[in-house]
Amino acid sequence: MTLEARNLVAGYGDKSILEKVSFNLADGEILAFFGHNGAGKSTTLKAVLGLLPAKEGQILLDGERIEHLTVSARLKRGLRLLPEGKGVFPDLNVQDSIEIVSQSNRDPNGAKISADDVYDLLPVLRDRRKTIAGEMSGGQQQMLAFGLALLGSPKCVLLEEPSVGLQPDLVEELFGKMSDICKKLSISAILVEHKIASAMKIADHVMIINSGKLVFNGSKAEAEQINLWNYF
Amino acid sequence: MLYVQLIADGVVTGCAIGLVAVSFAYFYATTGIFHVAHAGIYTLCGYIAWYLTGLGIPFILALIASILCGALVGMFVQVTLYQTLENKGASPLVKLIASIGVLTTLQNIVAIFFTPNIVQFDLPWRLNSLTIGGVWFSVPQILILLSSVGLFAAVVLFSKYSKLGKRIRAVASNPGLAEITHLNPQRVFVYVIAISSGLVAVPGVLVGVDQALQPYTSLIILLTAVIAMIAGGIGSLGGAFVMSIVLAVIQSLSVAFVSGRWSIAVVFAIFVLFILIRPEGLVRRKFSRAI
Ligand SMILES: Nc1ncnc2c1ncn2[C@@H]1O[C@H](COP(=O)(O)OP(=O)(O)OP(=O)(O)O)[C@@H](O)[C@H]1O
Ligand SMILES: [Mg+2]
Repeated sequence: MTLEARNLVAGYGDKSILEKVSFNLADGEILAFFGHNGAGKSTTLKAVLGLLPAKEGQILLDGERIEHLTVSARLKRGLRLLPEGKGVFPDLNVQDSIEIVSQSNRDPNGAKISADDVYDLLPVLRDRRKTIAGEMSGGQQQMLAFGLALLGSPKCVLLEEPSVGLQPDLVEELFGKMSDICKKLSISAILVEHKIASAMKIADHVMIINSGKLVFNGSKAEAEQINLWNYF
Repeated sequence: MLYVQLIADGVVTGCAIGLVAVSFAYFYATTGIFHVAHAGIYTLCGYIAWYLTGLGIPFILALIASILCGALVGMFVQVTLYQTLENKGASPLVKLIASIGVLTTLQNIVAIFFTPNIVQFDLPWRLNSLTIGGVWFSVPQILILLSSVGLFAAVVLFSKYSKLGKRIRAVASNPGLAEITHLNPQRVFVYVIAISSGLVAVPGVLVGVDQALQPYTSLIILLTAVIAMIAGGIGSLGGAFVMSIVLAVIQSLSVAFVSGRWSIAVVFAIFVLFILIRPEGLVRRKFSRAI
């Protein structure tokens, strides 16, 4: 089991948003994570990475408790986050961004995903190597942000709407490549998406949150039997 | 000829202030902390070099020692104070007030451990001078000119091309992302304050050699530097350096027209004009905290 949450409670200040959220995710699996605006998807991901403290419950990565660890320690153990917006360094060009992030996520045993892998995954970035990130289009910035989130040796990547701003054919292509990478390198992923149909194509499991409570948690086959919208 | 001499003096002063401005701006743009204590480090480093030369240590070694001490004191302030405040979620205003506290402490340390008096370096060569094209320069002035331009160029190249320079720019332009991509912003802040504090030691010492050392006057220099930083466009190191020279030249020339007591007021008047006419600064930058 790569990532597991047990009765996770988290929120902002004294206010709790998540109500005992529990889920688990095996190696190489993709978990599609849906829910209405403000349901608690970002809150869940932030708590998993440690940007928000877990008020109650446990988070386990490869069977070890991590909820007391700092963000930096969790990153070292292979957690990654593609944040909601603002995922690039506006002042740096593409090449420099990729270079410094891959350096800071070095792996003594060899990185699973190198700068070259990112360029192969997202060829646009290779053509734009010398472009300042802040001067690229929204979609191009999103691709760079996606690349930055994968560098190093991730075990589990938390993706906040990676499709934002991308043209439809690119979304399908990117998700396809993403799924291949996850299977090949046994990286697991939580995919927060509003484009449900696209996400369903690559999902192994589906989870739906509504006002801080998980209301559906099942396999893709189970999810295909029901009308997901009933849970929103 | 008087004007040429005044301009030359202004350029030298401007170069010294320019290094203060550039080092202050580098830290400010990266961390968002209004590090007033920078002025205290400037003063402290001058007195350290003065003390060491007084012991008979060669000037160049004293200068290097004060640069190292400056860097260490800066790192100490960052680790013990700013980082602690950051971890507690303190606002920028709280950090500013804490920084003023550090400034006062450093000034008092200088007054207690060294001397509260105005002192001069006991170096015979500081009174030597040379005339270039009819313009008179003291040897310390030449040193200020060369070291400031050299160090400014070095910082710009460092920021643009070195790995650490790029990492610092990344942290400055998106601190939140820097944290989750493991760039370790808190450690980067320590490096930046070490660089800034080491840099500010150089004018701290050399201006002291050229003129004299006083424990309580560095705040005025910092003020001019901050005005230059704002007028030059926050985040633009080149803008801060050039504006420092412009302001110092105007201040120097103003002495020919108004009483010397008004020269600081002239700087402020220019600042107000600048804010009204070109609020975004000399160099327009897209990102408020980019370097
Ligand atoms: N910084 C914050 N401070 C206080 N409350 C917050 C904060 N961020 C989010 N919330 C609250 O937490 C709840 C869950 O927000 P969250 O960002 O997790 O939603 P989400 O599922 O990611 O929504 P979206 O699809 O819009 O991104 C919302 O009710 C929101 O108002
Ligand atoms: Mg969200």
